[in-house]
Amino acid sequence: MLLVDIILPGLVLGGMYALIALGLTLQYGVARIMNLSYGESLVAAAFGAFSLYSGLGLSPLAALLLAVPIAMALNWLLYRFLLERLMRRGKDRGAQEIDSILVTFGVLFVIQGAMLVAFGGQYYSYGYLSIPLTIMGSTLAVNRLVALLFAALVGGAVYLSLTRTRIGTAVRAIAVDANAARLVGIDVAALSGLAFAFGGGLVAVGGVLISMFLTFNAAMGVVFTMKALVVVIMGGVGNVIGALVAGLLLGVVETAVARLVDPGLTLAATYALFLGVLVIKPTGLFGRAAS
Amino acid sequence: MTGPVRILLWCAGLALAAFLVSFPLHANGYYLALGISVLYFTILATAWAMFSGPTRYISLATVAFFGLGAYTAAVLGETMPWPVVLLAAAGVGALTAAITGLSTLRLSGIYFVIFSFGLAELIRQLVIWYEVNIHKSVGRYLFSAVTQEVLYWQLLGLTAVVFLVGWMLGRSRYGLALRAIGADETAASHSGIDATRVKLGVFVLSATFMAVTGAVMAPRWTYIDPAIAFNPTISFQVVIMALLGGAGSLFGPVLGVIPLVLLFEVLTATLPNHFSIVLGVIFVFIVMVLPNGVIGLFGVGRWRVPAGGPVAAAARASDAPLLAVDGVSKSFSGLRAVDGVSFTVTPGEIIGIIGPNGSGKTTLLNTLSGALRPSSGTIRLGGTVLNGLRAQQIARLGLARTFQLVRVMPDLTVAENVAAARLFSTSNGSGATASELLDLVGLGKMQEAPASELTYIDQKRLELARALALQPRLVLLDEWLAGLNPSELETGIALIAKLRDRGLTIIMVEHVMDAIRALCSHCIVMNAGSVIARGAPEAVLSDPKVVAAYLGADDA
Repeated sequence: MLLVDIILPGLVLGGMYALIALGLTLQYGVARIMNLSYGESLVAAAFGAFSLYSGLGLSPLAALLLAVPIAMALNWLLYRFLLERLMRRGKDRGAQEIDSILVTFGVLFVIQGAMLVAFGGQYYSYGYLSIPLTIMGSTLAVNRLVALLFAALVGGAVYLSLTRTRIGTAVRAIAVDANAARLVGIDVAALSGLAFAFGGGLVAVGGVLISMFLTFNAAMGVVFTMKALVVVIMGGVGNVIGALVAGLLLGVVETAVARLVDPGLTLAATYALFLGVLVIKPTGLFGRAAS
Repeated sequence: MTGPVRILLWCAGLALAAFLVSFPLHANGYYLALGISVLYFTILATAWAMFSGPTRYISLATVAFFGLGAYTAAVLGETMPWPVVLLAAAGVGALTAAITGLSTLRLSGIYFVIFSFGLAELIRQLVIWYEVNIHKSVGRYLFSAVTQEVLYWQLLGLTAVVFLVGWMLGRSRYGLALRAIGADETAASHSGIDATRVKLGVFVLSATFMAVTGAVMAPRWTYIDPAIAFNPTISFQVVIMALLGGAGSLFGPVLGVIPLVLLFEVLTATLPNHFSIVLGVIFVFIVMVLPNGVIGLFGVGRWRVPAGGPVAAAARASDAPLLAVDGVSKSFSGLRAVDGVSFTVTPGEIIGIIGPNGSGKTTLLNTLSGALRPSSGTIRLGGTVLNGLRAQQIARLGLARTFQLVRVMPDLTVAENVAAARLFSTSNGSGATASELLDLVGLGKMQEAPASELTYIDQKRLELARALALQPRLVLLDEWLAGLNPSELETGIALIAKLRDRGLTIIMVEHVMDAIRALCSHCIVMNAGSVIARGAPEAVLSDPKVVAAYLGADDA
């Protein structure tokens, strides 16, 4: 059935987008870093999972245990030694955003260059749990469902820790107003670094999970960054539920366009959706009005 | 500058020009190719800085326009005469920039950056889609008779044009308007600058140069496919070069272009595989260490607007009400911040708006000045309905304001702040000059100081001078006297009285009751969004309802 053929894979893809966007909203919403190298980190994690699977026969789900701590450590170092200086230097939020965009634009090319050296420009994929499964007359590979399940688990855990723990509450306080958070005794610099590292960990999860069912190459990070940004902005910066809804919406729209119109036009569809939302509601679907 | 020095400089300039023009005649192929690289990056980086430098809207989409130009040349190159091809490329670039700019430049800067970041990828995918589905072949061959020498001369001509246009733009009112927007967009639009239109215009201009550069460069490749034409590294290189040189001035980018083109040349020869890694590291280094670029190290000043020229605070006497506010309300979802407020202001009077914090005074001013649209009701200035007009249109009609949280344009000098407010003034300009206005508010000696270095009270004075520079019929002062010490307060009250004596009409929101008593002929008291009392200050301030609103019913 065509409708199920679109909705099911669309939701799987959308769940991935929501997970990736969740990491970006932590980095941008809390640490105020607009990280343009985000998609490159994702592709790097995908390559990591690929190497572990094809070299050591390690399952991608086991690779998560390795990829996430490494990604968190690298992101924390990036924040601590590069980005934190910019945050201190910037006079206002605008200047900080621009500086962080520029630096991470440089980082993007470093990571991409390293991947090109290591893997070249060709496409990669591997077959893990690619067992077809029929649900409501539509065929879906098991690896996609496993990926969706993991994304839901990780996303749910992050949501709960943001809303139910002391540290999570402090992190949300920083997202609302860093200066006010500082005044009530929250260590903004340390927690921003933590949030940035966590965002990096989430993108590694996304990269590993996506590598299970999509083909990827060293140059396609930009596309993932764009989609994550679109989801974050559509959902409203810092809004977890907004990111989930926007991510699912984007996944379904993309699958529908690929299926009904032309697979080459999915990015155009993403942009159209993005612009449509921005023109009608500049603060995002669930964003609050700016003061 | 003395005569001989000037002659010497002219000679040096002419010699340089002669060298640049005759370069292909005595350079071999390798140096000619290097010269071509320097020139085309100079055009791209200068065009980039023309828009992104003053506004700080970082565009990561250079290659989108460059690639469109190159593709236009590839499609039309063999059937059309070359000048037509260049014009077509310019048109395609300008049109694409206009469409993307119209949809994203209204939004805050970050959305523009993100959109520009993906724009090249989007256009590349669309071009591929078109080539695959309609043209049925992805690559295109372009055979043309353009030699390297001719290509060089075309680029040299285009470089001259881009510098000329950049120089003229800097001298024109649009140059200062663009910097005012970059410094504080809200303050700029309340100074009568149509921020969206100015940004869009310069963005289109900059993109046009990029597209023409792409078209000129197209014959160099012979074979063009989307991966070549829309290579994202070009966007990246252009941003690095402009930032290294300094995007804040016209000749900054070229200082970054020359060393980096040479460096890239060495890198591609020695480390072809690690090119983008090294590029990325250099870029990070530049952003971290040289935020203002090489030119910033020498402290080269940007072009400054000379103070002077006529600015008036003119009064137009008439009996009809100058401002008529009728049943104006403003709701934020459930909250009615302003609820059915009506009043009129006759020319030459000072109206005070008072009320406890949160009673809707600033929201009311915001609906008058166009910062917010009223949910219902009408506002008339003279005979013109202001509802739905944008801030800059209202400012040009003669309604100026200051802000409760002071908003000067920090990167501009004091004189430039005032000059920015009369860029798009429509009056014929009889009256006070910018320096007279600055003398009036007591800033006469600080004209060349950057506005960011002023004290809080001086920034407030500057805001008032900027408001007066619009030659307003009506000025809105939002707690202009707040935070002043007693002697400053006295000077401030005297200044407002002087403005009234000159015939200016003023609405002031104020908590300083002494000032209300001394200055206002009439005042309005607001509480919870509605007007609860109106009349002469003394009568109103002793009204039990007003006392209750301020102190609570029990203490009244």
